[in-house]
Amino acid sequence: MITAPARAAGVVIEHARVSVGRSMVRRRLRAVADGRAAAIEIDLHRGPVDVVGELAHLTARMADGSPPLARLQAAFDRTGACDAAIDGLASRVAVHRIRSARSVGALKAERAVAWVAPLLSADEAEVREAAARALGRIGGVRSADALVRAIERRGATRTLIVELSRAAPDLYLEAALFGPRRAGVIPAVAAAAGLRRRQTAVGPLLALLVSGSRKERVVACRALGWIGARRSVPVLIAAIADREWKVRLSAAKSLAALHAPARGAALEALLADRHPRVQKAGRQAQRRLARE
Amino acid sequence: MLERAPVFFAFAEGTLRALARRLRRVTVAAGELILYQGEPGDSIFFIEQGRCRAVIEKPPSVVTVAVLTGGDFFGDTACLLNRPHQASVYAQSDCTLLALDRQSLVSVLGRDRSLLDELRKVAEQRFSAFADTTVQATWGMLLQEATVIGVYSPKGGTGGTSIALNLVGSLARRYPGQVLLLDLDFPYAHAALLAGLVPTSCLARLGDVPAESFDEVLLSAILLHSSGPMILAGALRPEEADDVTPELVTRAIGVLRKTFRYIVVDLGVTINDPALALFDLTQHMVLVTSPELSAVKGAADAVDILLRLGTPHDRLSVVLNNRTLKPAVQRTAVERMLKRPVDIEVAFDGPRADQAALKAEILSLSNPHSEITRAAEALAELIERYHGKLAATGSNGVPAIGHEPQ
Repeated sequence: MITAPARAAGVVIEHARVSVGRSMVRRRLRAVADGRAAAIEIDLHRGPVDVVGELAHLTARMADGSPPLARLQAAFDRTGACDAAIDGLASRVAVHRIRSARSVGALKAERAVAWVAPLLSADEAEVREAAARALGRIGGVRSADALVRAIERRGATRTLIVELSRAAPDLYLEAALFGPRRAGVIPAVAAAAGLRRRQTAVGPLLALLVSGSRKERVVACRALGWIGARRSVPVLIAAIADREWKVRLSAAKSLAALHAPARGAALEALLADRHPRVQKAGRQAQRRLARE
Repeated sequence: MLERAPVFFAFAEGTLRALARRLRRVTVAAGELILYQGEPGDSIFFIEQGRCRAVIEKPPSVVTVAVLTGGDFFGDTACLLNRPHQASVYAQSDCTLLALDRQSLVSVLGRDRSLLDELRKVAEQRFSAFADTTVQATWGMLLQEATVIGVYSPKGGTGGTSIALNLVGSLARRYPGQVLLLDLDFPYAHAALLAGLVPTSCLARLGDVPAESFDEVLLSAILLHSSGPMILAGALRPEEADDVTPELVTRAIGVLRKTFRYIVVDLGVTINDPALALFDLTQHMVLVTSPELSAVKGAADAVDILLRLGTPHDRLSVVLNNRTLKPAVQRTAVERMLKRPVDIEVAFDGPRADQAALKAEILSLSNPHSEITRAAEALAELIERYHGKLAATGSNGVPAIGHEPQ
């Protein structure tokens, strides 16, 4: 019979073993990335250590085409791990597809995009999420196209928008804001443009704020606030007088986030707004300004 | 479009097709921001149609440092070197751009790292050139007008380009960032190649540029060598040589003279219309010959032509470049045939010139023991005495050295 202290000691030993294993995996991956080792003998999916997680952590800060990433990709190509992961994307078992999507995402395997994209339409939400994250990590036009198509088909989700903002290359979202898109896609693209925080999106978002639908105007306001575009302040102040309360609310939140000289006066007007949620947003903005 | 871009044109057809399939067409309205200074970037943009303006924004001022037209590309330094954009780029007119994102570039070129490395090298070069040349030129740090020096060699293979390049090196050491080599040695202008630079634009492509943006476009086409000299290619392809007209040369020199202290023009071997236009604009001519019968004969004819064109005797210098250890014609014989003394004699320098070209070095800046360096230094000294600070200190502006025709 195993006593409680013995069980506790076993857990501690197991934790220590996993920590040692994780450290070893990290060192091996780092050695390959730095060019100190050419071969890697790690199974991506076996053992107690989350190798894919460690790999994803390591490659997250590596630019596409950088020598460390290229070395890691080449090493896993040689072991056949990358091909196995791509094969796994077609598995009938959802867990295998999720695991494979994580692997190709961690390896930033651009050639897997065509196989990951169909998983965005999978029945299982976990598979769809894993696929979206993989495409966000891989990035590039093909990944961004797949994510936009998924938004068109199934509607926008938080994961799809966040991953689209990661995957989209320069001027992709700005151009997509004015392309022929299904209703509902433009607000998602605008939100992604805001999350991407590029000044190049300010012009298109301002245009959207002036001429877009209610939902588009709401998202454009928030996106401008996220970007921190000071030149959008006059348009946001004008949006405080919008007939739609959600636009006014969104403008209030964005103005509070911007360091604009006119924001205090603009927020005063919000306190007298006819909609209680806009008033509340005005009060919150005032408190935020007072704290700064 | 890719075939016209520097470096890309050297890629195999299959690679170019694969890249072309990945290009994304983007239309941008006039006035829209395309790249923002200081932000990261992941795409190279090729201008298919329209005109863009690169500006450096240092509040409260905004300085235009380049005007980019069809065939130009930008965004490469951020995309390939992972550095923030050096300048903001705005669409000056409605533009059609072709965007190539980093992921596509890497996936197509990833198997051949040398191609990516080559692109990175060009991006590095453009990064340096942009940082130093255009900003300096645009902000008008140099106020005096340049002295134009023509380097002419009537026979190919006499080392005219090498002398011109090393003269620029010697002058650039005296005046860093203020000496330009204009390469009009057609049809194969390769001074930039000898200096290890890859030109991305050239004078020949500026013929259609409107007057209001000519200065900016011209200055943005100049390459900066890491050791100081600057080079402006006349043409990138042999067929472009015809686009360099006398009017274009005159216009370009007019702009460059306001920007640099010395402009050395490599005139090559042919006396064509642009070369004749240059003869009128030069303050000093350097005639390069080698001790071979045909070369000396050509040099004698060239001296005759130059004097007839009105070049003053004391503004013409003869350089005798010994390309072999034992010259076929002795110096005295050369002087007799030219009817004037040789001003500078370059002793045989072995394979140093060829080795320097392979290493993308300019001998006058990298090897003080080279014979070419010594000659370039002597030539620079001579030119300085006529046209530099030394000349300005003379009692009546007449330089101390000079010689009368024999």
